[in-house]
Amino acid sequence: MNDLHTQALGEKPMPKYIRRSLLALSLDDAKLAEKAFSAWADAIILDFARKQDRNWLQDVKARMPAAIHAAGKAGAEVFVRIQSDCAAAEMDAAVFDGITGVILKGVTCPADVVSSAQHLSALEAARGIRGGTLEIDVEADTAGAVWHALEIARASERFGAFLINEPELCANLGMQCAPTLDFDPLEYIKSQLITVATSVGGQALGMSYPLGLTGENASDVVVRQAVKRARDTGFKGAVCAHASWVKFCNEGFRPTADEAAYYVKVIEVFAEGIKRGMASVPIDGKMIDVPVDLRAKLYLKWANRAQARDEAKAAAHKKQEG
Amino acid sequence: MNNRVARCTMFVTPTNPRFIDKAWTRGGDVYILDIEDSIAPAEKERCRTLIRESIQKANKGGASICVRINKPFVDADLPCAVWPGVDRIMLPKTESADEVRHAHEIISHLEKERGIPVGYIELYPMIESALGAVNIHELLTATPRKIYAMGGAGGYDMAMNLGIEMFASFDQYAFPVAYVALAAMVLDIEATGGVFVPNESGRVDQSDQAATQAAALHAAGIHHAGALHPNFIQPLVQGLSATADEIAWANKVIVEFGRLTNNGESVGMLDGKVVDKYEYDRATRTLDWAVACAEKDAYKAHALARAKAEGAQ
Repeated sequence: MNDLHTQALGEKPMPKYIRRSLLALSLDDAKLAEKAFSAWADAIILDFARKQDRNWLQDVKARMPAAIHAAGKAGAEVFVRIQSDCAAAEMDAAVFDGITGVILKGVTCPADVVSSAQHLSALEAARGIRGGTLEIDVEADTAGAVWHALEIARASERFGAFLINEPELCANLGMQCAPTLDFDPLEYIKSQLITVATSVGGQALGMSYPLGLTGENASDVVVRQAVKRARDTGFKGAVCAHASWVKFCNEGFRPTADEAAYYVKVIEVFAEGIKRGMASVPIDGKMIDVPVDLRAKLYLKWANRAQARDEAKAAAHKKQEG
Repeated sequence: MNNRVARCTMFVTPTNPRFIDKAWTRGGDVYILDIEDSIAPAEKERCRTLIRESIQKANKGGASICVRINKPFVDADLPCAVWPGVDRIMLPKTESADEVRHAHEIISHLEKERGIPVGYIELYPMIESALGAVNIHELLTATPRKIYAMGGAGGYDMAMNLGIEMFASFDQYAFPVAYVALAAMVLDIEATGGVFVPNESGRVDQSDQAATQAAALHAAGIHHAGALHPNFIQPLVQGLSATADEIAWANKVIVEFGRLTNNGESVGMLDGKVVDKYEYDRATRTLDWAVACAEKDAYKAHALARAKAEGAQ
């Protein structure tokens, strides 16, 4: 069995994280705890407003531990969103035990990630967080982040995911943000970020066109279709522009029940073929061979992990409610 | 004969007599003798022992021969794969330059040992993972061994690596396929991928799908395609050859551009279309391709007739 197949069989899970839905909430939101609890998101992103007041970071620092605790009560992972060009100061105010990692905005080169990783190491040591555990995700919102994507993803062992911020990326590229085209102008860039993230064992999060650009609070049918396409593109989750998206992301960024049933059939038919000395057998004209069989096994594991994630969140809810 | 015409490259399993014994009658330009994913683990060893005789079986109809080996068994597979009559070794799931260098060294040694001109056998590192795709330039420049054509970066293994369901209605491999093709072009290697053709059914046996694929590739100037089922062979061979209309037009363009040049002009009109250096170059490429296809077809026809005659005796 080669490396790819060994990986497929479970040494490295695919996707790396079950992180289908991310919901951004503000530290200043009086209903932060309530919204985080009722969202059922796999992850909460904590944002804070940058203010003119020179003590604003001290204020963030004072309030952040409680906000992290509140955001994670329902079993969600918690991230804090940090501006790359003042990462040291913002991480000092926002990085505390209880977060999974930071999301860096405005990254333009790999050095941004390297310096942030160094700051995180110092904070981990100072704040009793196990060394090397905090993740760095990169919000792709600049041309530099796209151009240097591979070096950025390789810049630190902490790299976990690219998140595509389509409106800000379009603005940075000088493109209009209105969805007037009948094709996705960022299709190539999305595929690039997915490929690059996967190449280092990470993943990419994003939504399909045009919802990724408009963030529209669209109908259930439209959101469901958009999630399906995003998953078919290779995204493993999305930042939800609306809490109403969370449900569809949780359902859509994982193998469906029909797919799981098909994988079971694939595994059975392939196993029968192997017994007969055949490693390539057809199902309805589709070729089933080693990678297809492995993919079926891998995706069944993925479905099970997603199920386990849902159950863990349900248990966290029950605990809180009880 | 190892010419450069590979309109249809078809996988064949040497362990299955139904496939390997009939391959030469199918009309493919290239056959890939597979030791990899179409061969059950328990059959690998037997498959290795069949490669040498399979070369003689599969090329009876004038096809070129490739062998696809296994990534984890390079050392065991190559001595069973490098024989006179083999034109190319396919290295599946290649991800690093070291893998290419290792294969190159073993092949060089075997070429010397078996009377094959050193460097004759081409390499084809197959890009089937995201890591392979992003490392493509270093893979293609890892050794001096000729890599004639490069494409792919989509398909079943890539889908598994990216965690996607294949056969969507849109191009799921926009970056890796284009990036690999671009790297090939930068290095003057013929790019063989890059055109998305929907196949939402996922079927690999429908000749109309093959014809659609051939038309799209042809329009993009790509001359190579792969097949998993014999039904794909004739539509691809036919669809990727230069048409009579294209040949006639190319001849007219060349004559017209010659006339322009003689008059000291560089741009003219022919049947309402611009004729310039670009069109002249394109016409030249069309005629070169038509000649190569005609040579390959003649060679295949001769080989097929000879094999049939020998079979009748």
